[in-house]
Amino acid sequence: MPFNSYPYLGCLALAVLVYWQLPHRLRGFYLLLVSVLYYGTWNPNHIVIPLSLCLLVWLISRPMTAPQANPRRWMWLGIGLVLLVLGFFKYRHFFLQASGSVLAPLDVQPVALAAGVGLPLGISFYSFEAISYLIDSRQRRIARPPLLQLCNFVMFWPHLMAGPIVRVRELVPQLLEARTFRPGFLIAGLDRILWGLVQKNAIANPIGRWVEEGLQPERLPTTADAWFLAIGFGFQIYFDFAGYSNMAIGAGRMLGIEFPQNFRFPFHASAPPDFWARWHMTLSRWVRDYLFFPINARFQGAPLPLYLSLLGIMALVGLWHGAGWGFVLWGMAHGAAMVLFRIYESLASEGIRSSLAARVGWRVFTLLVVTVAWVPFRAENLSQAAELLQTMFFGLVPGLALPSRFYQATVLVAVFCGFEPLLVRFLEWLESGAAQQDRRRSVALVLVRCVTYACAVLLFMIFDEQETEFIYFRF
Amino acid sequence: MPEDAKLQDAVAEVVAALTGRTVSERETLISSGMIDSLSILRLIAMLEKKLGVIIPTESLQPDDFDSIALIVETVQRVSRPAG
Repeated sequence: MPFNSYPYLGCLALAVLVYWQLPHRLRGFYLLLVSVLYYGTWNPNHIVIPLSLCLLVWLISRPMTAPQANPRRWMWLGIGLVLLVLGFFKYRHFFLQASGSVLAPLDVQPVALAAGVGLPLGISFYSFEAISYLIDSRQRRIARPPLLQLCNFVMFWPHLMAGPIVRVRELVPQLLEARTFRPGFLIAGLDRILWGLVQKNAIANPIGRWVEEGLQPERLPTTADAWFLAIGFGFQIYFDFAGYSNMAIGAGRMLGIEFPQNFRFPFHASAPPDFWARWHMTLSRWVRDYLFFPINARFQGAPLPLYLSLLGIMALVGLWHGAGWGFVLWGMAHGAAMVLFRIYESLASEGIRSSLAARVGWRVFTLLVVTVAWVPFRAENLSQAAELLQTMFFGLVPGLALPSRFYQATVLVAVFCGFEPLLVRFLEWLESGAAQQDRRRSVALVLVRCVTYACAVLLFMIFDEQETEFIYFRF
Repeated sequence: MPEDAKLQDAVAEVVAALTGRTVSERETLISSGMIDSLSILRLIAMLEKKLGVIIPTESLQPDDFDSIALIVETVQRVSRPAG
């Protein structure tokens, strides 16, 4: 039951309605019940996986806080077990294919055996949340929550399938707080859900359909098409994932729960590291806190470990998205761009760094790297990625062979992305005015909200493509 | 370890040197994008030198350095005299 479907929206309304009728002491059980039921709509056999993971890390966190215990050893045991579960479900094909030649003489077909167990949705996300719980417990940042609240932290349905990746200290205190209903919760939630629906159904899905068409294996794209397809896929995945994130944030808000933001105008990044401060922000934060910072603090920020860690960590970020070399290449391209920027930072004088040419140059370079790196990420296989890159950079194939609406839509979306920060700032200005009882801005906000809702509903109905799944559900 | 007010002044000086501007006590440094995670490592090295302490990082996260107030609290909590 995807977020952008009518059955989900109907169930969400019902779930929110019931939630606010319940006394506080029952809300935790209710949220877990709804989350389990929601997860079960995808595959009831997989419900046991996140529940077992919660029980596992909850049990392991107990001796971590006991006197005389060796918390570090317990933490690593817990992380090892979580990674084992993640590795089994997500990467077993990768490893079994590699071991196929070893098992061949025994007449065992490991890939066929492994195919029987599907990929549990959201496992990459809730595994990382379980690991963050173990590390935060080890660092004594959090008190051990009751099992029910830990299960809700991991399984709370709005963020269960594809984030935002939250921390115990962000979510559990909110779950424990006895909140009373305010109409503002619904308005704030609906705003986000509606915008998320438009992002997903009216922008990401139509562009995705054209990208799919352009990347059919039998089709050899022209040079301009290859560039448009890379740019188009960048927009597709941004609006798809940002749309999902907004719908998750919106569902949380309707229940009075605030999730962290996941995107902040990524196409306005000033440099490669800035892109990752704006794109999938909760994953970037996880990587920063639990990998990048501890590794580089150990080496006191020395250049060589810094560069190697950037490459290695970004390769792992790629692998986290899926067991394939295309994802690894995508991650390494971002890692290499960040290394290049760090080298430049260490060599360039303050005068050069603050010059207009350098600042514009890094913005253009960042957009170029981001766009080109989507090619191995999205291509069906490495040979198709190589063909596309060859066409983009070396072999000029003239012409435009895709439907003209694809080019028009891509240009239109690019213009929209350019103005997006201005639009958001304008809305924030209206909202701050309304909060300060400024009558003119309050009226303007009501009008803007009505017009936007009408446009959004219209767009949603015209481009209604609910059957397309969210890209990040595959990860 | 310097007394509270002196520690706060020392941290404010280091943060100003790193960011190139005066920063108020509660202003966020990382979440506002003023400094990144790599700058935190430089910040730690500068603090260790200025205060003559060692700041063990194994139980720290970048959020512990998100404002001058948090940095002061972190230094008081984890630092030990150098040497």
